[in-house]
Amino acid sequence: MDLGLAGKKAILVGAARGIGYSVAEVLAREGCDIALTARSEDSVKDAVASLSKYGTKIVGKPVNAKQPEAYKEWIDWAIGELDGVDILVPFTSAGGGMGSEKYWYNAFETDVMGVVRAVEGVIEKMTEQQRGSIVLLGSTSIGEAMGGPQPYNAMKASLVTWGKQLALWHGKNGIRVNVVSPGPIEFEGGNWDMIKGTMEKFYASQLRQQPSGRLGRPEEVAKAIAFLASDAASWCNGSHLVVDGGFTNRTHF
Amino acid sequence: MNDHVMGWDAGAMDVRRVVHPYRVDPESVGNGTPVEKAPDPQLGTELIPAARYFSPDYMKLEWERVWTKVWLLGGRSDDMPEPGDYICTDIGKESVLLVRQADGSIRAFPNVCLHRGNRLRPEGRGNAEKFQCMYHHWTYGLDGKLDHIPDLCTFLQGGPTDMALTALPCTEWNSFVWFSLDQDVEPFEDFIDPLKRHLEPYHPERMAWMRDITVEWDCNWKTSVDAFNETYHVQGIHPQLKWYLDDVNVQIDCYGKHSRYLIPFAAISPRVAMPSQIPPAIHEIMVHAGMDPAEYEGRVSDIRRDVQLFKREHGASQGKDYSELNDEQLTDDYHYTIFPNVSVNVHADDVMLFRQRPHASDPNKMLYDIWMFGLVPEGEEWPERVRHQHFRHGDKTIGQVLDQDAFNLPTVQTGMKSDYFPGLWIGDQELRIRHFHKVMDDYIYGPGEKGPGDL
Repeated sequence: MDLGLAGKKAILVGAARGIGYSVAEVLAREGCDIALTARSEDSVKDAVASLSKYGTKIVGKPVNAKQPEAYKEWIDWAIGELDGVDILVPFTSAGGGMGSEKYWYNAFETDVMGVVRAVEGVIEKMTEQQRGSIVLLGSTSIGEAMGGPQPYNAMKASLVTWGKQLALWHGKNGIRVNVVSPGPIEFEGGNWDMIKGTMEKFYASQLRQQPSGRLGRPEEVAKAIAFLASDAASWCNGSHLVVDGGFTNRTHF
Repeated sequence: MNDHVMGWDAGAMDVRRVVHPYRVDPESVGNGTPVEKAPDPQLGTELIPAARYFSPDYMKLEWERVWTKVWLLGGRSDDMPEPGDYICTDIGKESVLLVRQADGSIRAFPNVCLHRGNRLRPEGRGNAEKFQCMYHHWTYGLDGKLDHIPDLCTFLQGGPTDMALTALPCTEWNSFVWFSLDQDVEPFEDFIDPLKRHLEPYHPERMAWMRDITVEWDCNWKTSVDAFNETYHVQGIHPQLKWYLDDVNVQIDCYGKHSRYLIPFAAISPRVAMPSQIPPAIHEIMVHAGMDPAEYEGRVSDIRRDVQLFKREHGASQGKDYSELNDEQLTDDYHYTIFPNVSVNVHADDVMLFRQRPHASDPNKMLYDIWMFGLVPEGEEWPERVRHQHFRHGDKTIGQVLDQDAFNLPTVQTGMKSDYFPGLWIGDQELRIRHFHKVMDDYIYGPGEKGPGDL
């Protein structure tokens, strides 16, 4: 099956590591030009350097999604560098945290507004092109309680709702919006890598909850995201795809 | 590239990243705890014979030439503030009474009645006007003088020589009480050198008891001392600490009888990838310092330095006087081994001390004392003295990290007795173990006198 990704222009926010980087790798391999960012200059440089081997145009610059003006400038710069934008996948997240009100603001600024600002930054161009595919990142922790009452899950949940609204609103302009919710994904330097090292029992309990007895790998989510981002998924709009290896118990009717 | 503080090639170790932690300038510490790397002693690469850990003969030599010759840690000064307050502490087959005198000084005596050898007091703390033996009521004053022998006229030989318990050398230093079983022991100042300058800036007298535990362990006391003398085992036994401290960039310093290492805390081990989320244990360090991790905008790799700067700025307003400590000391673990049996982790806000005592007769057993003290902020009420607990290994947890050590030690002790285990194959990350055994050699055989056939 041809995904039709060759020559597409993708903007990836928060793509220097983990699932984000893996999406960049899958898309680059499929022939996409990519503009990516993350907060740390070194990690952006490293990501750009290692993605360049696939022969497409790869550009990157660090930016902090919590600074709206600089962030908007970055998106304009990315659209300019790529000369358009077909795909947007914003991965920004402040991660978990509980016990301080500040975590709500962090999650709102990063998990929600980091995504909202990215979408609003590209929607005009996509409308003008009458073409575009946006994939938002949820989490299995929005459908099944996990990790205690923390802003992360609640804020992530709002993206599913908002994603559906975007899909219905912009569908007439050839813009599709879908949501992917990964279950626990393990990679070196990721949260589950640290949890494996620091909370062995909890980690083992999560493994037991996985039918396959292991956690997911970034590329296993990345491929699902790449599919929804591609023309091969032309009839998927407003969908919410759970990619968790069967981790969650909930049945979707 | 010999870029490790110990001269090793940091990149050739089993690491994911080469890290150069922030270090304070040795010139900047003034009269505070020195930070400069001490020259490494040349101690060779020979095996350390395994039999040292279980041989009754070696145990006897240790008793005669080490335990009865050195200064030993007895207790805390603040446990005996008033005249008549005493601490009774055991060491091997001996037991010693440390007693506060009317003039505020302390004296030390063997805890044994001169009449029939009964112990005067059980191990522990208390207050006494006099020490009366329960057996026949021979009665001693706080100064050790034998004040009363019932029916003295029935002892044709009169009372024992001098009518007094033997006075043992004792002293107080840095909030702790020290004694020796050797009446001719070297001056304490000479024994403890050079650690006064190292440890006094921490002001442990401003810290209160937080834990006071004695655990019976099934291993030789040196098996335990060794375990706390190196950080090489972190990647083996304490994997979770890799998200708490830098077990690779450790500076080791050997001085005369004693030694130390300096471990960066609030840091990520170079053995693992740098996480983007703050690890739980480092989160706790930040909270304890008064920071809100949710507010933290820096990278995980910046936290150690930022905690140091935060504590430097806000310590005084929290009633914590860090003025005599350098920035590293505000986060890091400075770990000292005071020969022969004290392992002490000193931190700006607490002291975690382990006293390792030999069993009276069995080289395969020991007593492991955990003494923890926490800084009491100025103006805050001094907490109530915690109760001493005593139990056998495994009966209760002593915390995740120490449990990991504790559960490993008996298997080390058993394994070392194998005919196929000639001795310890020590690397340079374990230099302090080699140094410790060299000091043992010098005590047991005389400085440099250990022969090829000696254990």
